[in-house]
Amino acid sequence: MFIEFFYALRAGGLDVSQTEWLTLMEALDKGLCGASLTQFYYVSRMILVKSETEYDKFDRVFAAFFKNVSEDREQVSARIMKWLEQKTDCRVPTAEELEQLDQNLSQLKKEDSRQQTNDQISRMFEAKKKEQQTRHDGGNQWIGTGGTSPYGHSGKAPGGIRVGGRTGLMSAFAVISQERYRDFRLDKPLNYRQFQVAFRRLRQYSARLDVPKSELDVDKTVDETCNQGGYLSIEYRKPRKNTVKLLLLFDSGGTMIPFSTLCSNLFEAVDKANHFKDVKTYYFHNCIYSKLYKNPECENGDWVDTEWVFRNLDRDYRVIIVGDAQMAAEELLSPTGNYRGPNDGLSGYEWLTRFTKKYRRIVWLNPRKHEYAKGMDWMEAEVRIADLIPMYKLSVDGLNEAIKCLTRDQAPRKD
Amino acid sequence: MGSNNSDRFETTGEYVASEELMNAVNIAIALQKPLLIKGEPGTGKTMLAQAVAASPGKKLIIWNIKSTTQAQDGLYVYDTVQRLYDSQFGESGVDDIAHYIKLGKLGEAFSSEEQVVLLIDEIDKADLEFPNDLLWELDQMEFYIHETRETVKAKQRPIVIITSNAEKELPDAFLRRCIFHYIEFPEPELMKEIVKSHFDSLEDKLLEEAMRTFYEIRSLRDIRKKPSTSELIDWINALMIGGIPVEEIYKKLPFVGVVLKKDEDLETLKNARKY
Repeated sequence: MFIEFFYALRAGGLDVSQTEWLTLMEALDKGLCGASLTQFYYVSRMILVKSETEYDKFDRVFAAFFKNVSEDREQVSARIMKWLEQKTDCRVPTAEELEQLDQNLSQLKKEDSRQQTNDQISRMFEAKKKEQQTRHDGGNQWIGTGGTSPYGHSGKAPGGIRVGGRTGLMSAFAVISQERYRDFRLDKPLNYRQFQVAFRRLRQYSARLDVPKSELDVDKTVDETCNQGGYLSIEYRKPRKNTVKLLLLFDSGGTMIPFSTLCSNLFEAVDKANHFKDVKTYYFHNCIYSKLYKNPECENGDWVDTEWVFRNLDRDYRVIIVGDAQMAAEELLSPTGNYRGPNDGLSGYEWLTRFTKKYRRIVWLNPRKHEYAKGMDWMEAEVRIADLIPMYKLSVDGLNEAIKCLTRDQAPRKD
Repeated sequence: MGSNNSDRFETTGEYVASEELMNAVNIAIALQKPLLIKGEPGTGKTMLAQAVAASPGKKLIIWNIKSTTQAQDGLYVYDTVQRLYDSQFGESGVDDIAHYIKLGKLGEAFSSEEQVVLLIDEIDKADLEFPNDLLWELDQMEFYIHETRETVKAKQRPIVIITSNAEKELPDAFLRRCIFHYIEFPEPELMKEIVKSHFDSLEDKLLEEAMRTFYEIRSLRDIRKKPSTSELIDWINALMIGGIPVEEIYKKLPFVGVVLKKDEDLETLKNARKY
């Protein structure tokens, strides 16, 4: 019956599987959601969403699907807030109250749509605010703490309006409207830890490659020897070592200054990740020409020849270029476009092309990648580079995509 | 809600769980699915399992995962060395392989007569493929011992709690079978309860000041390693033992090294305090 919700979630970019959906149905069958939308929110979230980075997406879809967030929630008079400030312990409801609660629940169930119910609750809430003159705890009608009235806090009525205080379970909409999980979204820029996690994926154990079995497998040797009644039988295995070598190229031009923290985070993550076989880092200014600088200051003379890099770093190196690709078209396309140093006869574009020819696995991470760069004249450089080198935004999603691109197995080029 | 109320998990004396978390535990128990808990270090992921076990009084089996742990270790180990040793000295029982099968933590949980709580701690420490290797075992709650051609099947389905620090992504197929809960860093109000549960007597004023300072430090943008609950508790302990006057806590930051462990972070705090 909720099948539309399933499709709404999928349309909202959540990868909800059939298994998970059936689990939710099972939960509904077992009555684990009660008759409460709030409980349904929590149960469906814990079953369907498997990462805090997707809570925000889920919240959005949920809110849109069961749309009737009461906007007036905040407009509670100060007097009522004061009554609610004093917390009371939730006492065990008496039999009478439970009966009343049941009635309330069945009443709510009878309502055809949530829209009506919430409108009703909102309307009545307004009326109560005007009527109420005294503090009120427990009970099932007035705004107060505990009890089964849909108004106030620590109450047990489903989907009611919460006023201040800390509820047992926050109303679904109250949670959603807080946007607590916004920070976890994947399209946000990265912190240090996220870099580390992403780079952990960038590994390739040689055990999966075609190498001879050269390492003594102690466990297997012992097992085999014992199995043969003590007759020594030596077993070997393929060594498990990360064979990934990395070449990092950072743009340290003026337009990159706003992203210096981001870049240093990335640098540090790579630096601390000790699982790479080798990491080389060089810097460039706006675009890559015949020299690569050893330091981010990009001082004249403190450089290596790009040719030297081609000669000394073999094609197994994976190349990550970090830069915003912001440059004038002639900086990229003219053979005299480098205004800070030599071009050596080739334009920046040609130098970049040489990189793509030499290194099979190469990506460009752009902290300000523009979605709609195409068709904008001043973005020509970015568009041209993105055509040449796979370009990803420097965000959680983008980095993961980039790493995937770097680990993808490509047939070795014959040249 | 559930038919057997005795199995429901509730906040115990030492462990203060948010209502959301208790809810998640109970749903996982009702649906007989593993509960996957993720959250910042120090939010009490591991302690949760202890609390769940203590609440209905069940035995807790902990399987600590390390980077070298293999799925097989949790099922059983065939002790060939012992068998060889025994055979050389003519001990009895050498013919019986079953004698040399040692059950791992998972096997222990399956073969227990009573329902147990099984904690698979820090599953993300192991190899990327590790969770996939356990899919069948956790789904069906059984595994097969090749050497003896026996199937070990859970007599009582254990309550499985898995924790992760998000160091590695877990495989999708594995995630689909779990109930997921993310432990958020506690709000000050809940934090007060948590801290109080750790101390017999604690001055309100001291707690207030320490919490104010603690949350201010956490809110600094450039802090690399944000201090966690356990650091706050240690700090309050230090403050109490040191007999620090309450007024000085916020201004002078005594023993702040307990809260911040990195030099850069201490520097950041100093700089922030300048303004």
